[in-house]
This record gives sequence, C-alpha cells and structure tokens, in this order.
Amino acid sequence: MQETSKYHLTEADLANEQGKVEAAKKNPAHFAVLYDTYYEPIFRFIFQRLDDKELAFDATQQVFIKALSNLPKYEYRGVPFASWLFRIALNELTSLFRLEQAQRTINIDSVSINSVMEEMEETKIDLYHDKIVAIIAEQLTEDELQIIEMRFFEKRSFKQIGDILDITENNAKVRTYRIIDKLKKVIC
Amino acid sequence: MKRKVNVDRAEISSEEIAKRKNFNSVLKQSTRGGKPILKNKWFLSSIAVAVVAAVSIVALLNNPISKTAKKELSVVKADSLELSDFYKKEESKPCISPPLKNINIEYTIYKLSAEKGAVLDFKTSSKLIVPKSSFEDSNGKVLKGEIELHYREFHDAVDFFVSGIPMTYDSAGVRYQFESAGMIEILAFQDGKQVNMAKGKSINIEMSSNYNGTESNLYKLDTVRNNWSCLGKDKVVAKTLSSKTIDSVKEQNPKLKAIEAKKEEVKMEKEKALSILPTLSPEPKKPIKVNKQKHTFDIAVEPKEFPELAIYKGVLFEIGDENKNFNASLYDITWDDASLKEGTQKGKNYLLTLKKGTKKYELVVYPVFEGKNYESAMKSYDEKFAMYNTTLEKHRLEEKRIEEEYQTKLLALKKQQDEFIRKLKEEQANQFKQMDIEDKVKRMFAINSFGVFNSDCPKQYPQGILCTANLVKEKNVNLLCYEIYLVDKARNSLFTYHKNPITQFSFNPKSTNILWTVEDGVLYWLKPEQFTGISNKEAMCNLKMNRIEQKLTTVEEIKASLNF
Repeated sequence: MQETSKYHLTEADLANEQGKVEAAKKNPAHFAVLYDTYYEPIFRFIFQRLDDKELAFDATQQVFIKALSNLPKYEYRGVPFASWLFRIALNELTSLFRLEQAQRTINIDSVSINSVMEEMEETKIDLYHDKIVAIIAEQLTEDELQIIEMRFFEKRSFKQIGDILDITENNAKVRTYRIIDKLKKVIC
Repeated sequence: MKRKVNVDRAEISSEEIAKRKNFNSVLKQSTRGGKPILKNKWFLSSIAVAVVAAVSIVALLNNPISKTAKKELSVVKADSLELSDFYKKEESKPCISPPLKNINIEYTIYKLSAEKGAVLDFKTSSKLIVPKSSFEDSNGKVLKGEIELHYREFHDAVDFFVSGIPMTYDSAGVRYQFESAGMIEILAFQDGKQVNMAKGKSINIEMSSNYNGTESNLYKLDTVRNNWSCLGKDKVVAKTLSSKTIDSVKEQNPKLKAIEAKKEEVKMEKEKALSILPTLSPEPKKPIKVNKQKHTFDIAVEPKEFPELAIYKGVLFEIGDENKNFNASLYDITWDDASLKEGTQKGKNYLLTLKKGTKKYELVVYPVFEGKNYESAMKSYDEKFAMYNTTLEKHRLEEKRIEEEYQTKLLALKKQQDEFIRKLKEEQANQFKQMDIEDKVKRMFAINSFGVFNSDCPKQYPQGILCTANLVKEKNVNLLCYEIYLVDKARNSLFTYHKNPITQFSFNPKSTNILWTVEDGVLYWLKPEQFTGISNKEAMCNLKMNRIEQKLTTVEEIKASLNF
C-alpha cells in the first residue's frame, strides 16, 4: 500500500518544526506558519468524517483555536506536531457526534474499498463491494472504523495511525489485521 | 447515531480550502490571542476615517457631476470626523440592537411551575415541551416555584429587522447571510432575574416554519462573540394529508357510521332469509352392490338414527379392507349386542361394535345390497335422487335470489359511502390547501440553554448587479445611516450592508427587491421598481430613498408600509 509521504519527517524536519512550535508558544502570531501548513490536512481529516462542508470548515477552525489556546501545554514527544492536531480534531469530531450536532459520515471511494478487499484476499470484488461497504458502515465500532478510515481511505502508515491514536506502530498494525479478520468472518 | 455513507463524493480543491483560511479569526478567538488589533479603538477609528474619506473621494471623483461634487468635497471632509464618531457609536452597540425604538416582536410570557414543567402552545401552533426541574440559578441550584418563560418567533425579513438580531454568519472568516426557516428567542426568569437551563435538561421545541427544506442547520447566537454557533441539524416534519388522517375522520363521521350500521342490517336480513329456507334433506347415497368375496353382517338399523339407510330395504354391512385383523371366526360367536354409529366417512361407512361379555370388537363396515334388494334400492335411489335434485335446485335459486337482493342493497350503500368519502376527502384537501404552511411544517429541535436559536442556511449575498450605492434623501442629501437592509423577496433573508455609501452593493435584478434603512428613527426605503434604474456600469449610483412619513408603531404597520 502506498504510504502518505508528507507525514514522514526526518529528524531535522522534526527539530525544525519543534522550533516553530516553540516560537508560537512565545508569540501566538508565529502560530500562523503551523496553521498554514496543517490547515488543509486537518480540514480533509475532518471532512472525511462529515457530510457538511461548512460544519467541517467550522470544526477545522475550532481545532486550531483549541490548539493555539492549549499550545503552552503541548510537549514534544518525538512525533510530528500534526499528530497532536489530529488528536484534537478527533476529539472535536467526537464531541460533535456526541451532541448530535453532526452526522457521522463515511466517505468512501471505490478504489479504497478495493484495497480493503485486497487486504482481505477477497477476489470477488464486484460481488462483495456493496456488502463490505454496509458492514463497515453498520457493524464496525467507532474505534475500528477510525483505523479502517485512516489505513485504507486516507492511506496513512501504521506509524502515523499509532501517533494519532497514541498507540504503538505495532499495536496499530495488530488492530488493523484484527479488523480485517473480523470483516472476513462477517462476509463469509 | 446512524452513519451515512457517501461513495465517490466530489473532491474539494486545495484552492477552495485555502480560501477559507483565516488565521486572524483563530488568533482572535483563542484564549492566547490577546486583544486583537481589530478591536483597538485607535485602529477602528483610523480605519473608519480612512475608509469614509477614501470612498467619498473616489465616489466624488467618479461622479459625472464632479464639478459640483468637488465643491462639496471640503464639506464632506469636515463631516468625516462626525461620521467617524457616528460609526464608532453604531459599532459599539450590543449584539442585539433593535433599530427602531418601541417597535419589536412581542414576547409571549408563560408562567409555569419549575417542579412540574409544562407543554406550551404558541400562537403560531409551535409547541414547547419543558420537562420538570429544568431551571437553575447562576450558582447551579435547581429552582422551584414559578418561572416566567419569555418566548417569541421571527419568520420574515421585517421580523428579523425589528428584532435587531444579526443575521450575518462568519464561517471560518467568510461572511454569509442567513436564509432563515424560522428563528426563536427563549428566556427564563424567576422573580425578575434571568435563570439558566439546568444541567442535563433540554427543552424540546416544535417550531412552526414557512419552509420545509432540510438543508438548514440550527444555530445559536453567541452574543459575546457576536456570531452564531452551529448546533447541528434540526428535524423537519412536514404534515401531509395522510390516509391515516382521513381514516380517523371516517371513523368519527356520524353519516358514515349510519351507513356502516345499515350495511350490517342488510347483512342480518340476508342471514335471516337464508335461515328460514326449508331444510334440505341430505343427498341420498347411491347403493353399492355387495362384494361376494367380502364378509357382511346383517344388522337391523334404527330408521330414526340413520335416515339415509332407512329408505332402503335389506341393507347389509360389508367388512371394510381397513379391518386388517378381521377373522371369520367372529361369525361363530353369538354376540350379546351389536351397535352402529357413524364412521370416519360420513354417510359412506359406519363403525360396527360387537359385544359379548367383556369382549368388544370394532369394525369399519360399508352398507351394501344384494340381489333384488340392490335393484329395489337402485330404483328407490333414482327416485329419491331426482326429487333431491329438484329440491336442491329450488333451494339454490332461492339462495341466489336472497344473495342478489343483498348485493343490490349493499352496492347502493357502498355507492352512497364512496360518494360521501370522496366529498369528505375533497373537503379535507381544500381545508389543507387553505392551511398556512406554518401549520404544515414543524422544525423540531432540543435546546439545552436559553437564548436565540435560528434554523438557517448560510447563503451568499445576492448577485447580478454590483455597484457603489449612495443612499440619498430629499435634496440629494446623503442619509446618515449605518445598517442598510436589502430584501430579495425570493429569499427569506435580510441582507445587511454597513455604512453609506455601500461600496459593494449587489442585488439580483431578476428578483423583487426592497432596500431600507433608518436615519434618526425614520424609515427610508427604495421601492422595487426603483431597482430597474440601477446598472453595473455606474461606479456610484445615487439611490433616492423614500421617507415613510407615517408614524409607525407596530410591526404590521412596517410590513404594510413596505408592501411586505
């Protein structure tokens, strides 16, 4: 599977980014650089899980407001700053769904579904396409859905999934294959 | 919550996403943003002065009558400080500022018990469902005793205008105007003090609406941020003239009830007529000739008990094949008793019981005839069967006559009933058509705090003609106004512009438009027909506003004055 390369930062990149974070901690105006860098990925992450574009723009803005407000509490843990933003975005979404202010939406493209099927070693793609969509939509728990979305629909690496969900890379991999096994069992 | 699935949804371009970036808004709203530069008084006043001066100069230089205008330039400059003060005053007004003194949408005040809650009906047929113990004071203490609930609704542009509630929505830095499906304000008081909704409680609102579209979201006005917060979707329930509604009316209609009773009556009549028809004797059974290979019993038959057998003489009872254990030795026994009763196939076989002492045998037997008895039985059968057929035919004819009579009566009643139902449906459909749409559409949502809630859809300002509009009154004197309102009658919205002249005034020339503003408590308006004279080409267009001379005291009077 193709990995998202943007996320993979070298040691030097991470250090450079951490410098920007520290600058923003001292002067909120310097947060603009990080805002510019991550606005689009955060918007796309949120909109992937929503149906309403305007609500997604509002939620994106809220993520950055919360990030800037809580920046003094941010601690560098050797992972990209983006993973912290994605976690705030996940919390924002959870809050929207809990308060029923937004409809939980799964946005799937046909190619992504094929990659889920490939992972399941399922060759009858046409036959099971709709069934697998229905199973993902109706039978997966929210945690399982998050992993499937990140791995197959957003093409994220296990490392990045781990960073966002605050679990190890290996754990992200194990969880992903457990869900694939579950899908296999349900579809049989 | 049920998940929605979109397959292959259209992508949003990076350009569109980038357009929505607004770091200033993040900075302003974050707790670390400090006092934004935009809020500094010196900044606002400088900008106001600069904008007014620049607009005035550009406008006057572009004006075809610029010679006269140039003369007036010095006057404008002299006035600009006064204008700046005026704008500063307007900008510092609270979030909700009714533009006309003493004219507003009235609150309906409900008094209810905090402990019991209540279901409240509003004059527009909206409903408020207040659960028990829904109120708390500012210390979080759940309140008891009498609560005053103040409630009002806003449904059209004039309602929005008089309320002074802002209808603009800043979504991630982009300014939209709300197109409303209805707005409410709900406040609660105890002993004159405003109270809060208790934690974990919510009031269900069923708001009557003029609009049944589902694209609206529910927003709450944040009077501190002077912006709206999106709370998610409301639920739209559109009342239809359902078959259920008609059925319930049918059930209650006395005329239809009488027809139903009459139908039951004619059915009873039919059943009575059928019951008094002479009883048809059973069909005679065709005699069967004895099978000499089989054993028979000769038993005397009680005619009253078996009339179908009594009509024949010399009937014998042949042992059926089903008696697997029959033994001819049974013939050698002198039986104390032999009795007959109906068998498994009525009129065709019988059950013969033979008894001696404690011994008892049961045999399935079939009536048969031998020799002359058979011939005689056949003759008798032919006569009886002919007679039976004649009687049967008569009986059937009589039954048919009764049934036809019944069906004729029933059909007449059904016709009567159908015609009545048709009229009833027609009447209901007419009544439904005449109902206000507000009675037909309900927007349902739950609120867990008090304030202003709006079922809305943020929309762009109307487009078509774009110009700089300068609002003037008598003798071409510029109107001193801050908020200027445009209504496009095809849309339920109040588009607000700020400051005169309006540098980016746009409207849809295909719609019926009205523009109005307030100067010193007096309403000035631009009539729909005056919009035809405005074109794109004009850099600065002077709009001659009409003063409403009548002293307005009610919302209805404003609507009438603006031909709304």
